[in-house]
Amino acid sequence: MTDIDRILAERYDRRGFMRMAGATTLGAAVLAACKKAEDNGSSTGTSGAASHPPIDKEPGDLAVFDWSGYGNGDYYPNKEKSELWGDYANQTGDTPQFTLFENDDAAYTKAVAGTVAFDVVHPCGYKYKDWVDLGAMQPWDTSLIPNYSQLNPKLMESGVVDGQQYFVPLDWGFIAPLVNTDHVDVSGEDSFGVMFDDQYEGKISWVDTSNMMYIGGLFLGVPDPFDMTDDELAQVRDFLSSKKHLVKFMWNQSYDFWLSFKKEEVWIGYSWPDTVGYADAAGMNYRYMEPKEGRVSWVCGMGLAKDTQNYFHAHDYLDSWASKKAAEFLMGYYYYGHTNTTADLSVVSPGVVDALGLDDPTILDPPRSIPESYIPRRDVYQQYWSEVLAS
Amino acid sequence: MATEEAAASAKHWRRRERGVTAALLSAPMLWLLLFFVAPVAYVAAYSVGAIKLFPTDTGVISLDGWRHFFGGGSIYLGLFWKSVRMSLTVSVVVVLLAYPIGYFLALCVRKLKYVLLLVVIVPFLTSFLLRVLAWKVMLGDKGVVNSLLVSLHLRPANEPIEWLLYSQFTVMLVLAYVWIPFVALPIFVSLDNLDRSLLEAASDLGASRVKTFLRVTLPLSLPGLIAAFVFVFVPTIGEFVTPLLVGGTNGYMYGNAIQDLFTRGLDWQSGSVLAMFLLIVVAGLMALFGRYVQVRSVAAD
Repeated sequence: MTDIDRILAERYDRRGFMRMAGATTLGAAVLAACKKAEDNGSSTGTSGAASHPPIDKEPGDLAVFDWSGYGNGDYYPNKEKSELWGDYANQTGDTPQFTLFENDDAAYTKAVAGTVAFDVVHPCGYKYKDWVDLGAMQPWDTSLIPNYSQLNPKLMESGVVDGQQYFVPLDWGFIAPLVNTDHVDVSGEDSFGVMFDDQYEGKISWVDTSNMMYIGGLFLGVPDPFDMTDDELAQVRDFLSSKKHLVKFMWNQSYDFWLSFKKEEVWIGYSWPDTVGYADAAGMNYRYMEPKEGRVSWVCGMGLAKDTQNYFHAHDYLDSWASKKAAEFLMGYYYYGHTNTTADLSVVSPGVVDALGLDDPTILDPPRSIPESYIPRRDVYQQYWSEVLAS
Repeated sequence: MATEEAAASAKHWRRRERGVTAALLSAPMLWLLLFFVAPVAYVAAYSVGAIKLFPTDTGVISLDGWRHFFGGGSIYLGLFWKSVRMSLTVSVVVVLLAYPIGYFLALCVRKLKYVLLLVVIVPFLTSFLLRVLAWKVMLGDKGVVNSLLVSLHLRPANEPIEWLLYSQFTVMLVLAYVWIPFVALPIFVSLDNLDRSLLEAASDLGASRVKTFLRVTLPLSLPGLIAAFVFVFVPTIGEFVTPLLVGGTNGYMYGNAIQDLFTRGLDWQSGSVLAMFLLIVVAGLMALFGRYVQVRSVAAD
């Protein structure tokens, strides 16, 4: 059993990375839109560098707790290193040590269970508060991050918890249905309903996380899909259970979804921007929907462990990630947005820019986009979702 | 005097023997205690809320988790029976398919016996994960099987057999494939130890080959057969890797529910209840099978 656990863990580690990438696209648009306001890059950190030993007294071997493909080399062994943390390596001479997670919930669970030690961690926005509440994090000193001034100030606000910059948002993207227009009729209004459409039985893929609960809530029109009541959750659970038979499989790794979408085993799926990029590059006829319920947008960011021994290393690492170079890598290779406003959109094909609205400054504004929010009762969401899975 | 001495010496030896036994056993016992008994006790404690790890845990001892599990609205019991059904099917099929392999190796082959045995277990040299993933390539809509059917004009190109992948069938097929070589071993061993003179005697007394098989070979190999059945049934009932990779939404099993509750559900209490229930059922079954095997071997003697 332990062997299987290990194998599984390795596989899982490899899967999660795609999701992060999705965030990138959104970021670029917002960045473009908000560039004027960017002079607001002042430090919000308060812990101060003075209380920490200087960088040459730090142990190094920075422990990075991150998604697969975000620097550990699972997807682009050389590029990830050179583009995401090459600057860091040059500056500090350090090689980060990666521990990978499959998804936000699994990462948080590991941290709570105390089975992972890390200096920096890279969750998505809706989990920030959980991490801070856990008492595991400390705010960044943004004055130690030169590239911080290039980051979109509007998006930086999402990384502020309890008035302090606990997280620095970096990559962003959407969640929306991706459909194969050779087989799916898209003449009507775009909607998440396509993922629950009886006529496409066996050709649909959902994601294998409790995020499906708020997607269901969004489609059913509940007032706040991120804070549903028990009645609403039960309603969503029953709805999803009744539609589950339409689903061919639920993906854990967006690359699995892409492979299946490419082979036309599924025509419709819960999708991040990376799959849109792949479909575009493969010349497929696709539509990345702008559902009438709104695309869900997500932004993931880097946080600093409270008990880190690598305070300055961590800041340098984040600075490397915040660079224009890193932003263009994420956009060009993973089709994700990045909060660095100086990134050049030309690294992405025009089709992808169009599908993701990268050049549209309003793409992230409600109601076109709904920011993925903190879910106060995520454990309850998860219980209902477990019941959908087991039904 | 001499008898007293002998008695004392015997006593001394017995004591010494006991000491040696205890010393030899202490390491494995300690191992079991640390890495099996203690964790199981921890999970059991968690299942009744005696341990608080997450902010969402109540930390209050109660049987609510168990009550919820057995309660009317619980979906997990249904899921458990579904897994039992799948696992039973797999076990029966695997034993039926592995028996001829064991029989052939034990009774029909002489010189090449161990070479062929090696061939049977060769798949173990490949990663379990790879072997499971290979089935995805074979069973997909555009996989080997469907492509073959299309090229033979047995299926129209746009209508592949969809239930080949991501279904209960797939999970059972892959599990059967994975377990057959493993299960052939205990069957082989029990048949290999068969006293051939019994077969000769049966033949001398005029029994037909079928009758010999039914009255001699099969009853004598029954312990191996049952061991083989248990070998498959027990691990597959809690299986979660195979359904995760090839099961899709229909192939979801009890083991997946446990995994989900632990890894992302943050609901370790429910996960512990599910895990303990599985452990109890499996332990009960083992006890039952263990008795059965013993009785049969005695009867066969």
